[in-house]
Amino acid sequence: MANKKVAIVAGAISRFDNPRHTLQEEMCAEAVRMILDDLPNLDLGTWVKEQDTAACYSYFSDILEQQQCMHWIINDYLGLSGLPQYRVESGGATPIDAVVNAALWIRSGLFKQVLVVGWEKMNELHIQKVNEAIAIAGDTDWDFVSGFTYNAFYATLETRRMHVFGETEEDLAEVAVMTHNNSLDNPYAQWPAQHGFGKITVDDVYKSRLISWPYRLYECAMTSEGASALLLTDAETARKYTDTPVWISGVGFGSDTMRPGDRPDNPAWKGLFPEDEKLWPGHVERPLSPYPDLTNFGAFRTAARLAYKDAGIRNPRKEIDMVMVFDPYAGVVLAGLEDMDFCKRGEGMKLLREGVIQPWGDLPCQFSGSLTAQGHAVGSTSIAEVVQVYWQLSQQIGKKWGAPKRQMSKARRGLIQGHGGTGCQAGVVILER
Amino acid sequence: MVKMEQPGPEKVIKQSAYDEKWWNDWVMKGGWRPEAWKIIEMKDGPTLTSLKTERFMIIHRPHANMFNHSYGKVSRFFEGLLEGKLMGTKCPKCGLVYCPPRAHCFNPKCRLAETTWVELPKKGVVHSYTIMAIAWPSMAHLQPLVGAMVRVDGTNTCLPMTMRDIDPEKVNIGLKVNIHISKDAKGDLLDVYATPAEEPKAPKRTEAELKRFREDMDKTREWVKKTFGTKTNK
Ligand SMILES: [Zn+2]
Repeated sequence: MANKKVAIVAGAISRFDNPRHTLQEEMCAEAVRMILDDLPNLDLGTWVKEQDTAACYSYFSDILEQQQCMHWIINDYLGLSGLPQYRVESGGATPIDAVVNAALWIRSGLFKQVLVVGWEKMNELHIQKVNEAIAIAGDTDWDFVSGFTYNAFYATLETRRMHVFGETEEDLAEVAVMTHNNSLDNPYAQWPAQHGFGKITVDDVYKSRLISWPYRLYECAMTSEGASALLLTDAETARKYTDTPVWISGVGFGSDTMRPGDRPDNPAWKGLFPEDEKLWPGHVERPLSPYPDLTNFGAFRTAARLAYKDAGIRNPRKEIDMVMVFDPYAGVVLAGLEDMDFCKRGEGMKLLREGVIQPWGDLPCQFSGSLTAQGHAVGSTSIAEVVQVYWQLSQQIGKKWGAPKRQMSKARRGLIQGHGGTGCQAGVVILER
Repeated sequence: MVKMEQPGPEKVIKQSAYDEKWWNDWVMKGGWRPEAWKIIEMKDGPTLTSLKTERFMIIHRPHANMFNHSYGKVSRFFEGLLEGKLMGTKCPKCGLVYCPPRAHCFNPKCRLAETTWVELPKKGVVHSYTIMAIAWPSMAHLQPLVGAMVRVDGTNTCLPMTMRDIDPEKVNIGLKVNIHISKDAKGDLLDVYATPAEEPKAPKRTEAELKRFREDMDKTREWVKKTFGTKTNK
């Protein structure tokens, strides 16, 4: 249980696009500058002197950045040399891991404030080398050199979902339509920056090129450059800055095997979630550990249940008002909703088909456009999603987007989920106003 | 007092031809000096509502690498590939069979017990699959290329591999496959591939899905033909 409440008092994004051409430290400075604009009381000059603030930096790939210890440059550039700083790195889970860690640091009582900054550069290498730099987060002896890209691995996971639960290509396309259209009012999003501001349809998704069946281009994450920042504080410090902080009321993280192929009979998971094992259909041969097999993401489950316990949430479907699933591929949205207990296993497609997860439904998901449309500047991605949910819960969408009609007025609680690899590590953060 | 000994030096049992000088030269090539530069103008800014025209200088900066990598205690698997054998490991305590092999059993009950080597049948079942329209550059000429997670018979794991001699339209979960190891094995997982061991039964597709699927395959083959000439896999 939380021994210290953790508040978010400000958040900012330097937009996602590819290329940005602006240096990592400059994009980070743009984001932190927006936080300084929001908090006139914030005096960076006192941080080093007081030693009560830490900086938590989030970026994924030394290869994509052409730089080891990039965070030393960022910390210096922001004028924070002398501050306790550290970097987290856990593939796609990097930025959610950063937020989880920062929250725990404040709860530890060691720091009153933690500045979280995340970024990524993804345009410097040949696109094939970019894919390689990402893919070597997979096992380089056993997965990466099989001839599979991440596209291919996620595609095999989705094929299995289609086979076991009956998800369809249309479901995937509908998810992509939702995320892309959600991004159109978002001035931080890459899709409208590159493709304009018109809505897309299922047919547009079908017209986008096949990547790895069943996945098409519009159903895959974009590769992006961008940065984002969050200022977390303890409750007492929050009062200095704002009367209406948003609270991080729950955090959780979890893991699964490095290689997805090791999951179906994984002895560690056997019998762990009997209710989900029971939902295994008769027409498919039953693996030794039917949950998560390749259809689901066990790390989402354990991370979410840890976060629910932390936040005192008993019925996530009723108690949470908006969700950001980390969706490098469209089908992950549907699997993620199942794994995080928003519906039964195999019923994620029902939430989609019934409109529940649309902006007008009662569990809006991916309202920023998420990875397929807002973009995926890896080290920044989930921090940006936390910022977006923070803006929603603090009623700032009108100001931050210039699109007041996209403000969800009644939402009280939001969940942001992140993960890396093929679900090798996951994190969940719950925000509450 | 227990006597200590030194582990080295390493003794080479056998090795394939390696033009070490050529590769060392290649690794050093470029060496981070800009090969060229360009100056561009583009709008930028932290939001799409605050863009300004900016001027950027971009350099083309090369560097290359060669990793000298040991396969450690699962080297037997890769040596097996050179001999045309498919090797796995088995836990003497719980009996789980691993391919990919593990030198230590990961069943929490087995307290990281050391496993033993077993030769595996070159047969398996498709646990899941995809059809790659973007494969590795070295395999792009084989697109559309079936990738399958294959559960090797008698193992508790799936091994990812590509498939040959199969119509992408027909590949399905549950398909029995034969596993092959390339004659000119190089010593990595790309040496392993699968072919159908039975008449494949296509998954159910609606008429619209089937039409789209065939169009996708045609487009992919057209691209291959345009890029690599007429030598395609169909
Ligand atoms: Zn064992």
